[in-house]
Amino acid sequence: MDAKLVEFAGLLRRNGIRVSLSETMDAFRALRTVGLDDRETVRAALRTTVVKRSVDLQAFDELFDLYFGGLGEAIKQATATTQQALQMSDDEFQQFLERLERMLEEQGVEMSELARALLRADGGQLERMMREAGQRGSLDEIQHGFQEGRFLHALGAALGVGDLAGEIERLRHGLQQDDPELARKLDEYLARRLRDLQDLMRAMVRQELDRHDLGRQERQGLQSLGEKSFFYLSEDEIRRMQEAVTKLAQRLKNVVAIRRRRARRGRFDSSETLRRNLQYGGVPFRVVFDRKRKEKPQVMVLCDVSDSVRNVSRFMLQFVYALQDLYSKVRSFIFVADVGEVTQLFQEHEAGKALDLALTGNVINVYAHSDFGRAFKQFHRDHIAAVNHRTTVIVLGDARNNYNLPQEWVLKEIHQRAKQVLWLNPENRATWGFGDSEMDRYAPFCTVVEECRNLNQLYRVIDRLVTV
Amino acid sequence: MFSSVDDVLRRLGEHDYIANHTIATVVYLATRLEKPILVEGPAGVGKTELAKVLARALDRELIRLQCYEGLDEAKALYEWEYAKQLLYTQILRDKIGEVIGKATTLREAVGRIANEDDVFFSDQFLLPRPLLRAVTANQPVVLLIDEIDKSDTEFEAFLLEVLSDFQVSVPELGTLRARHKPVVVLTSNAAREMSDALKRRCLHLYIDFPDRAHELEIVRLKVPGVAEQLADEVVTLIQRIRKLDLKKAPSISETLDWAKALTLLNVASLDDALVADTLSVILKYEGDIRKGQQELKEHIALQKAKAAKAAATAPPSDKDVLH
Repeated sequence: MDAKLVEFAGLLRRNGIRVSLSETMDAFRALRTVGLDDRETVRAALRTTVVKRSVDLQAFDELFDLYFGGLGEAIKQATATTQQALQMSDDEFQQFLERLERMLEEQGVEMSELARALLRADGGQLERMMREAGQRGSLDEIQHGFQEGRFLHALGAALGVGDLAGEIERLRHGLQQDDPELARKLDEYLARRLRDLQDLMRAMVRQELDRHDLGRQERQGLQSLGEKSFFYLSEDEIRRMQEAVTKLAQRLKNVVAIRRRRARRGRFDSSETLRRNLQYGGVPFRVVFDRKRKEKPQVMVLCDVSDSVRNVSRFMLQFVYALQDLYSKVRSFIFVADVGEVTQLFQEHEAGKALDLALTGNVINVYAHSDFGRAFKQFHRDHIAAVNHRTTVIVLGDARNNYNLPQEWVLKEIHQRAKQVLWLNPENRATWGFGDSEMDRYAPFCTVVEECRNLNQLYRVIDRLVTV
Repeated sequence: MFSSVDDVLRRLGEHDYIANHTIATVVYLATRLEKPILVEGPAGVGKTELAKVLARALDRELIRLQCYEGLDEAKALYEWEYAKQLLYTQILRDKIGEVIGKATTLREAVGRIANEDDVFFSDQFLLPRPLLRAVTANQPVVLLIDEIDKSDTEFEAFLLEVLSDFQVSVPELGTLRARHKPVVVLTSNAAREMSDALKRRCLHLYIDFPDRAHELEIVRLKVPGVAEQLADEVVTLIQRIRKLDLKKAPSISETLDWAKALTLLNVASLDDALVADTLSVILKYEGDIRKGQQELKEHIALQKAKAAKAAATAPPSDKDVLH
């Protein structure tokens, strides 16, 4: 068990669950306390000692099932299926087993240990024997799917299946039974059990294989989702991503709220305290804290929603709206070749629906070719007056301009008027400036240019945004 | 102390707390391994209640420390009673004069008083706060540190010593070690992540909303006199509502409130005009209520369809009986 637990801890670590040494030791102590009899208790004991973040719970459960799963369950399952096939209730089946036992005894049949465990439907014994055989057959060395046959053979040899087949065959012919109904059932039972064992062996090898695969596989959880580029998200991942975005936004909100409150409380201002208390002869009756007023930033988001960056802009907008009460004012614009304001849309609808409306062409034509220059010029014409020294302007786009005029003078003017200009580019930094990318032209007029290809980067950027 | 996981289940059940197997296992381990439990989960699933019931089940005193931002050692651990110290020095002025006695120089006088220092920094002037009380209690206690996520990270770091060794250091008195290790329950709403160091020292327990059967059991237990069918329908609907995209999902306590309210109003089934008006008991936002009403309508329609189907299949069987 010890070795298995350590290995399991390793498996958890490989899948992004942090397990420290002291936690592994706790797990040992916990298992020693509750015993290994009940699977669910073992699961609960391991979970509470090893998994400390609720986001990891699901992953843990999956891994636990995979690692500790399966064989005991599979054996139970196989027995149940056999029982069903024989059309017997629990009691009848039990009686049937007892009868078989008596019969074997009366007729003085010598049986191997394996046959006895199998025919008695003694799951625990059978599982133990199979596991031992698995060790002898070095099942844990399996690496690839095509080795399945070889290891199956090794397992069978270690278990002594060859002899078993002969043994059961002899039993089928040798057992005398007067009752034809019972004889038929007996015959079927024996045949089925042999097949069951073969299925179980196959299942065991398959499980072992899965276990090895899993170590190599990338974990599916949100952890890796955070690092995964927005471009390659599947439908399902987009859905989970939305949850993740909301959660991250909530976390950020809490952090910022605490930070702001702390800032409001202020630090002890010794010099001001002294000055203020001179009238009392320097005895500090009135304590003064320095209070810096932190302004909530005003934000204008300019979001490219052309096909190439659709996912990123979606999450970006969602994130900004989840955080809305951190800003005093948010105005959002989307553009492809034209600029359209979606602030109103977002106030009237829920985030999800508003995003759908915005991204399906109700505001601007989203199927045009990106033209940053044209969009910037329009923005300058209609909205430049709204940009003031408190405004943070965020541009989100890949700066792929289809070789149109870049019109970078607009950005220059925005830069002069605004508090800061952030440009988030969902493209890999290495590709900036190649082809029709105009990033290099725009970059000088931005306070910060950041690569923003995944959730973690997005979080970092926004974190900086609300704290400056 | 508990003798087994089942014993935990039973004894918590005796005090009207319906725990699931996971909760029971964690509680059992916590008492056996003498480790604190960090309970996380959405609001209103009975995190705090667990600690309270645990105290009752173990027949121990519950010492509660409510965390908030700005909570510091002085409020959590101990404080010197300055006022009392001052008062005593005033009253004992003569005595102090005696002690100083014939000291001729200021330095000598200070030295003499310094010798008596420990009189003023003794247990007598120590005002114990929850943590110190839990550590120095003569009887074993249950210590509840509620909403730890509201406290500052500094406080969390300070807690580490208490939680791992059950001892506290008071500079003037030295280290105080717990006579009986308390059972510690920390609760958190996950407003922020706790540090890894803290988590490492705790057993982690995530309590989610209960499944249907569990919640039904809780409603029956906590709302005496609730009609069987009503309880069933309420729980079914609540479970459905929780799956909606809501600002705030209804908690168990809100389920109970609703069941109580409907019972008071003599409502027998959700198919009632009154029910839509009472949704504000479980949903606290305007938008949520609107969604809840929609869900309620669908639920009722579904129930009707089911009933109709049952009615359609029922008559033939009646006839069979007649024949």
